[in-house]
Amino acid sequence: MKITILYGTETGNAEMLAEDIQAALEDDHEVDCRNLSAMSPADFDAGQFYLMVCSTYGDGELPASAKPFAEAMAAEAPDLSDIRFAVFGLGDSEYDETFNHGPKRLADLMQARGAVQIGERVAHDASGSDMAEDVALPWAEAVIAEAGA
Amino acid sequence: MTGKAAIVGAGPSGCYVAQALLKAAPDLEVDLIEALPVPYGLVRYGVAADHQGTKAVARQFARVFERQGARFYGNVTVGRDISLEALRGAYDAVVLAAGLSGDRRLGVPGDDLAGIYGAGGLTRALYDHPDAMALPDLGRFPLIIGNGNVAVDLLRLLAKHPQELEGSDLGVAASQWLGASQIESLAIVGRAPAADAKFDPVMIKELAKLGHVKIRVVNAAPDAGDKTSEVLAALDGTGQGPRRITFRFGLTPVAVLGDGHVQAVRFAGADGAEDIACSSVLTAIGFEPAPGALPRAEAPGLYAVGWFQRGPRGTIPENRADALALADRILADLSPDTAKQGRAVLAGLAGVVDYEGWCRIDAAELAAAAEGRARAKIQSRPEMLAIATGK
Repeated sequence: MKITILYGTETGNAEMLAEDIQAALEDDHEVDCRNLSAMSPADFDAGQFYLMVCSTYGDGELPASAKPFAEAMAAEAPDLSDIRFAVFGLGDSEYDETFNHGPKRLADLMQARGAVQIGERVAHDASGSDMAEDVALPWAEAVIAEAGA
Repeated sequence: MTGKAAIVGAGPSGCYVAQALLKAAPDLEVDLIEALPVPYGLVRYGVAADHQGTKAVARQFARVFERQGARFYGNVTVGRDISLEALRGAYDAVVLAAGLSGDRRLGVPGDDLAGIYGAGGLTRALYDHPDAMALPDLGRFPLIIGNGNVAVDLLRLLAKHPQELEGSDLGVAASQWLGASQIESLAIVGRAPAADAKFDPVMIKELAKLGHVKIRVVNAAPDAGDKTSEVLAALDGTGQGPRRITFRFGLTPVAVLGDGHVQAVRFAGADGAEDIACSSVLTAIGFEPAPGALPRAEAPGLYAVGWFQRGPRGTIPENRADALALADRILADLSPDTAKQGRAVLAGLAGVVDYEGWCRIDAAELAAAAEGRARAKIQSRPEMLAIATGK
């Protein structure tokens, strides 16, 4: 499968996880990994399956590197009805009120333009005991299986 | 691209510079030189013990050493063990990322009385920094001066019940100290009006979860559209616990009063002078270079980054952005001189802790973690060195 991993990051944690997912998938798939800051809505390609990895910053906001993308999505209102994506969130339950609001915003942005979300949004909790990649790699395998079915 | 870079200070800014340099140019020789035997700076000794999620960036930094090939030279003080000039002679680029460890003083009469503590000094004591003072007796009603995240971190820690520190990395001594706390009330006072306070709103919201406090925000009128004043207003009246927290705004300290030991702080406000009685004063009004710190001026091949360069503003993401921009600048400037000896200049130094040494300290700290704690930091430098060298 052709897969593009898009990450929205502010501290670099989501970037590191995106690279881990890329490394894990590369043997079986054609995988590109890109910062959302370098992604324009016009770049979406129906031949790709998009894995989005995104954190939350401030008071439930998108991380800095995802903000220009969100603005471009609002301004350009692209038709993404032939695009399939899945979202993985990085969060911190210390801030339970806004836990994983960033990735939810990102999923909403995509769905508002008609893109089809595959699988459930899954979240890693930085205040929990799991490593992010231990949660994200099974998630990636599951959504890829679902997208390929 | 080849070339040699030394980064002085292995805190978040220095680690992010190393990460970005090696990502763009994996063949660079990048060395992080750190005065302490352990890396990660404020991630270890500044980020609050109960904000373990924020400390997760340390995993990225570990990879800078483990996968990207940076080397760690811990327990090396530039200016004492090796001169800055020697480093500049040996490396194509030298980056000063030494942070700011000095507490800014109030600068008013009486600011040298006993019972006044800087936030940095107190934070180091709470978090088992090797050079920390002993934890002081703050009395029954400490007064915090400052309206930034450092002030609110201290407020939250001091207000917490021991049970609320589950999962933190607060050490045994600090936990006992907090558990034995006599604090009945905490006042936090800022010079600016609430709408101009520098707190991150999310840090204020977090206070609403404290279980043993009753919070009052004086004159908590929300400014429409201003998030900080809105969350402060919403915080007013929160909680029914025994420990009282009072937020005050628009008060400028003009003198610390007391006979030998602080008894009150005199403030100037819109309604004239006001004395607020207190058992101790905690200042969280910014940081400055420690005495004898490295020079801050840049020169060809010499760069500065992070708080050391910009002053004590911005959290980890802003310092990362700054570090990434600096890495780009260094790579654009870099004209490698093959005659530079690089890390060989550090070879003769005694007592250097390398990355494997830090891993031994890290493993020992994780293994020693008490029930309900993420780790047990080793505070003593000799003990760190003994573990690092396996002796």
